[in-house]
Amino acid sequence: MAMDRGNGRGKAGPWAAVAVIVFMIAALPLSAQAGNAKKGEKIAKTRKLGNCVACHYLPNVESPGDIGPNLVEAMQEYTMADRKDVVQWIRDARKFNPGTIMPPFGTNKILTPKQIDDLVTYLYTLKK
Amino acid sequence: MIKKISNLRKFFACAALILAVTWLHAFSPGGARAADNKAAATIEELTPSMSYKEYHKRYEAYYGDTTARMAEEGNPADFLLDDGKDLANKVEGSKGKSCASCHGKDALKLKGAATTYPRYDARLPGIMTFALQINTCRQKQMGARPLKYESYDQLALTMYIKSLSNGMPIKVSIDGPARPFFEKGKIAYYKRQGQLNFSCAICHVQYAGYKARSNLISNNKHHADHWPSYRLKWGKTGSLQRRFRGCLKNMRAKRPPLQSEMLRNLEFYLTYINNGDLIQVPGMRM
Repeated sequence: MAMDRGNGRGKAGPWAAVAVIVFMIAALPLSAQAGNAKKGEKIAKTRKLGNCVACHYLPNVESPGDIGPNLVEAMQEYTMADRKDVVQWIRDARKFNPGTIMPPFGTNKILTPKQIDDLVTYLYTLKK
Repeated sequence: MIKKISNLRKFFACAALILAVTWLHAFSPGGARAADNKAAATIEELTPSMSYKEYHKRYEAYYGDTTARMAEEGNPADFLLDDGKDLANKVEGSKGKSCASCHGKDALKLKGAATTYPRYDARLPGIMTFALQINTCRQKQMGARPLKYESYDQLALTMYIKSLSNGMPIKVSIDGPARPFFEKGKIAYYKRQGQLNFSCAICHVQYAGYKARSNLISNNKHHADHWPSYRLKWGKTGSLQRRFRGCLKNMRAKRPPLQSEMLRNLEFYLTYINNGDLIQVPGMRM
């Protein structure tokens, strides 16, 4: 009985592997796409996630902070070609400004690369 | 099979050894001291965002005088003062003494004593905070048990004796052997720490008067003159070191225990830069 079950699992093995590979291929285009702006907005405005509004102005938020620049104004200066700079500001702003107060969201693992991607996608929706 | 197990054992033994060595290194005082000295050389003071006058103008415009008025109408922490006075007269411990036995009725001879704390004490050696001094006195002079930090009795007694210095300016000395501890406190104040990579100074020097969401970041003047203080957020009276730990938690940094060396040095540094501020205990803050 136990042997049978063992064999059954052995047979399922290769099929499971194939399924995983198929799933990964299916998921590939998703991760290659730009992030999810809606998720990004939630990350920006949630205290336990990005909490950007603690320091930055963002629209539709009650009393945002005024420590950092207004992000609507700031985003007007960036084109899609600068996307990696916007990512870098969030990942670790010390590259641009060594004495910055801004937490290194990527380096210190406050946000995952995927979350930063979503966040940046949201920020680009602020461009007029 | 047996060979595999012995290999596994070797592997774990190695891993344990490496862990132990790194752990020991991280906690060895020598290592910590070397790191401190290195940081001391690189400390760069930050430029204040604005004058205290300008900060206070913003504070008044934003919050008004709410807490000041509440404190006048009756600070809930005032209840601790009477209990603190009773404790100062209460005989405790193996030597049959109270604070009053040495310091006069109601410990009134301690008027002004709080103005020079925290101070260097060669017997530690290190920084003696007011709270630690009271507990040291209880143990050594009275033969009584030390009061648990942040307990009602501990806060009440500290607050009462400190209140005897109300209206007197803080005059903390950093001369002589106190100097290295002042430097350590300054490092603690300026060191970036925690997941958010903040320091005390970046907020309370460089960005004081700006808003973090709806909180106006306070200027570090008057930070050390009103503790133990009633705090609306706590709904309770607490010490400056409890406040330090709250701030460190917000920074997602490691929180050393109450009256640990780091927090005592930090209190020393902060109180020194508040020299001249008038002691006003208990305080009332948001």
